[in-house]
Amino acid sequence: MKRIADFFEKNRKFIPLMSTAVLALIAYGIGAYLFVGMRNPQVFLNLFRNTSFILISAIGMTFVILTGGIDLSVSGVMALTATASAVLLREGWNPWVVILLMLAMGMSLGAIMGSFIVKLKVQPFIATLAGMWFARGMCFFISDDAVQITDPTFQIIGKTKLLIPGLMELSVGQGTAAPFITIPVVVAFLLLIIAIYFAHYTRFGRTIYAIGGNEGRNEQSARLMGLPVDRTKFLVYTFNGFCSALAGLSLALFVESGHGLYANGFELDVIASVVMGGTMLTGGSGYVFGTLFGVMVFALTQALIQFIGSLSSWWTKIVIGALTLIFIGVQTALANRRSHRQNTQTTEAALVARRKQQRLVFGLGAIVVLAIVAVVSISRFGAASSTETPEITQCVVAPFRENEAETLIKDGAVIVYNRTAGPLCIDELFAIYPDGRVIGNDGVASVEKQLDPAEVENLLTVISVDHNWFTNEIYSTYLNPCRQCFAHYINISYNGQEKAVTGVDGTTAMPPGYAFALAEIRPLLPELNSAP
Amino acid sequence: MKRNTNRSFTWSRITNNRLFFPFVALSLILLFDFIFIPGFFSIENRDGNLYGSLIDIFRNGSTVMLLAIGMTLVIATGGVDLSVGAIMAIAASVAGILMNPSALLNELFFVTDPTYTFQPLWVVIVVALLVSLVCGVWNGVLVGYMRIQPMVATLILMISGRGIAQLITNGLRVQITYKPYAFIGQGWIVLPFSLYIVAFIFALTWLLTRKTAIALFIESVGTNFRSSFFSGIDEKKIKLLVYTFCGLCAGIAGLVASSNVKTSDANNIGLTTELDAILAVVIGGTAMKGGRFSLFASMIGALVMQAITQSMYAIGVPAFALQAIKAVVVIFVILLYSEQVQVFVRGIGGSTKRVKS
Repeated sequence: MKRIADFFEKNRKFIPLMSTAVLALIAYGIGAYLFVGMRNPQVFLNLFRNTSFILISAIGMTFVILTGGIDLSVSGVMALTATASAVLLREGWNPWVVILLMLAMGMSLGAIMGSFIVKLKVQPFIATLAGMWFARGMCFFISDDAVQITDPTFQIIGKTKLLIPGLMELSVGQGTAAPFITIPVVVAFLLLIIAIYFAHYTRFGRTIYAIGGNEGRNEQSARLMGLPVDRTKFLVYTFNGFCSALAGLSLALFVESGHGLYANGFELDVIASVVMGGTMLTGGSGYVFGTLFGVMVFALTQALIQFIGSLSSWWTKIVIGALTLIFIGVQTALANRRSHRQNTQTTEAALVARRKQQRLVFGLGAIVVLAIVAVVSISRFGAASSTETPEITQCVVAPFRENEAETLIKDGAVIVYNRTAGPLCIDELFAIYPDGRVIGNDGVASVEKQLDPAEVENLLTVISVDHNWFTNEIYSTYLNPCRQCFAHYINISYNGQEKAVTGVDGTTAMPPGYAFALAEIRPLLPELNSAP
Repeated sequence: MKRNTNRSFTWSRITNNRLFFPFVALSLILLFDFIFIPGFFSIENRDGNLYGSLIDIFRNGSTVMLLAIGMTLVIATGGVDLSVGAIMAIAASVAGILMNPSALLNELFFVTDPTYTFQPLWVVIVVALLVSLVCGVWNGVLVGYMRIQPMVATLILMISGRGIAQLITNGLRVQITYKPYAFIGQGWIVLPFSLYIVAFIFALTWLLTRKTAIALFIESVGTNFRSSFFSGIDEKKIKLLVYTFCGLCAGIAGLVASSNVKTSDANNIGLTTELDAILAVVIGGTAMKGGRFSLFASMIGALVMQAITQSMYAIGVPAFALQAIKAVVVIFVILLYSEQVQVFVRGIGGSTKRVKS
């Protein structure tokens, strides 16, 4: 018992890191125990494939947080990189030039924010916030709509499958597809190794720890010691700009398109991953290596929630929030203990109070963990039938049947409504004709229904007039829909005007009038019950 | 000679006033509007109600103004509350569900009857505000009693709050059709009704802080919490109080915002408004470090933010691109508030004195 206590006493600084690693292992263990699909090595590798951009961005963020600062601009810079590269590639630029240009742009944005923070003494929070708004706003100056990336070089970089030597033979023996990773994953790990080298084996890295040490109060001492505080901070923000741009490119490769609404709220995911990786938000304490585990915990949370299936995607947010709370609680408790050992004048009463506080923190943490376990297990036993393993990746959204819709409109249909994705990955297309005929098909089954022609007339008027269909208020938004969400495509022909608009529910983007129009159309449609 | 000193005295009194810079910023923007946007200052009288771009600034700015009241107190204690946007979404979701529970049945369709509501209006408002109060207490406990850094503590609710709001509405947009509720954000009694709410909360806060010792306590906690602890101020309770109050303000703002768009949309309501509110307070001259605060200056700051938005819309800048413009304005404000510029402006009075004497 004493030996264990000694061990923890000696390696106190590794506790947050180790607890994250253990948590990641346990989470994966539980997943592998409950879901057969999760034992597949490809699913494990997918954890990295789906989060390579989080890892890249989190590495840069770790440096920023170690200096006691924060960078909110990552999501904006990522969206800007994705959009700008997509547009430049559409214009026929050389892909390698585009990549270099994007990295240079990210670095210069980071450098500008860094100089604001260093020279003008602006709070990092405010300066990077302005940076985020600027970058996100610029996306919409560049392009309003999502831009597809069709460049062959980008396709090759994004889709090349790198097989793992040891696992390949194993899977061939088992007769399954060989597990693979992609180039962005390799890039992320290379960056991780370089970052670890810089953080722990160079003067630059030691200066970073010195600036952020003592919960961020050390900056003055570092300056007095003659350390290049200003230059180091400037470089750290520049490096984070570089990481954001790299993450943006990786995101663009992953989703093969660019749009200004991508990566919305992404900075929170990154900060949460860094905190879960054991880095103190006050600065000066933590390991770049820990960030890898933080990102893994994030990825596992997402994967588990997708595997459970009956939980909706927003549970990810709640679980990540709860985990962040627990980690911050642990860190605060550890910091309090450390400061109490240093502070010999602490009175007995204060000590007792502090212990009470720690117990409260741990108690709260335990309650939250129990609650999560309870919810997970209830839903598990509640949905015992769903033992088949759902596909880990999001359901491949069937492309909008654009030509079919246009042909239908030409043939006299007034409304063509196409719905794809959703929990069951459906792809249904309905056409409504002025004489009240409604025809629907989903590629397998088809269905017909007869409405009152007056009803169709009324529907058209309501949508066009009441819901401002033919104005700028109704615009297309297309993002990758979340796993439970539908993508809706509506074509309408009214009074000689035609308009086709795309929308995805469950995201922030759909214009309100579009939702109203959907709510008018949906009740009139017949049920399509084909086998999934 | 005497007149000279007198003049420089008044000049320094004007520039040292904390309302000076916010007013300069607001008048610069209004001047811009006056020159470039014809009819920006015209106010119409329709059936006794006033309409116009200026009124719209106040009406659309009411959400940020409400948030800025709570945020000023929080920032004055040296903290920050990042979760107000999420609390707005939670309050709006609770209100939406209480009026239109059909969303829980996983239906996209909604009641179109303007007189239908599941619970009476007062229950809706009281429950929504209670929930936001609980959120505020949660933040206050984490910051005050657990001693977690304010930015970190409120980040937790910021991350999970939107998830909770979506949980409440089952991930759907809840359409609100109940007419009396829409009056909160869209009603007019000569002036927009939301403006009366802002005025009421502002007056209440001003009376409760400035006419009691609370403002003094808040400022002393923000300046130096250790010395205020030794002078007998319970800083934990003060922090709990301001975060709770900030949560309440956010709840009211959530009700106003959701009734304004007749939808409680867990994803969109209050998105990035926490940043607007913080900027409004910073423009109002309350330092992020904490210490002295001015509620009125924060109101001006909120109006500055809204006036920028409104004028950009009037010029025809698209909604999303607006962010870039806002960022440029923020940078401008940062420069305006930097030491160098402030010293320069205050130096104008001093330099004339030196030259003439």
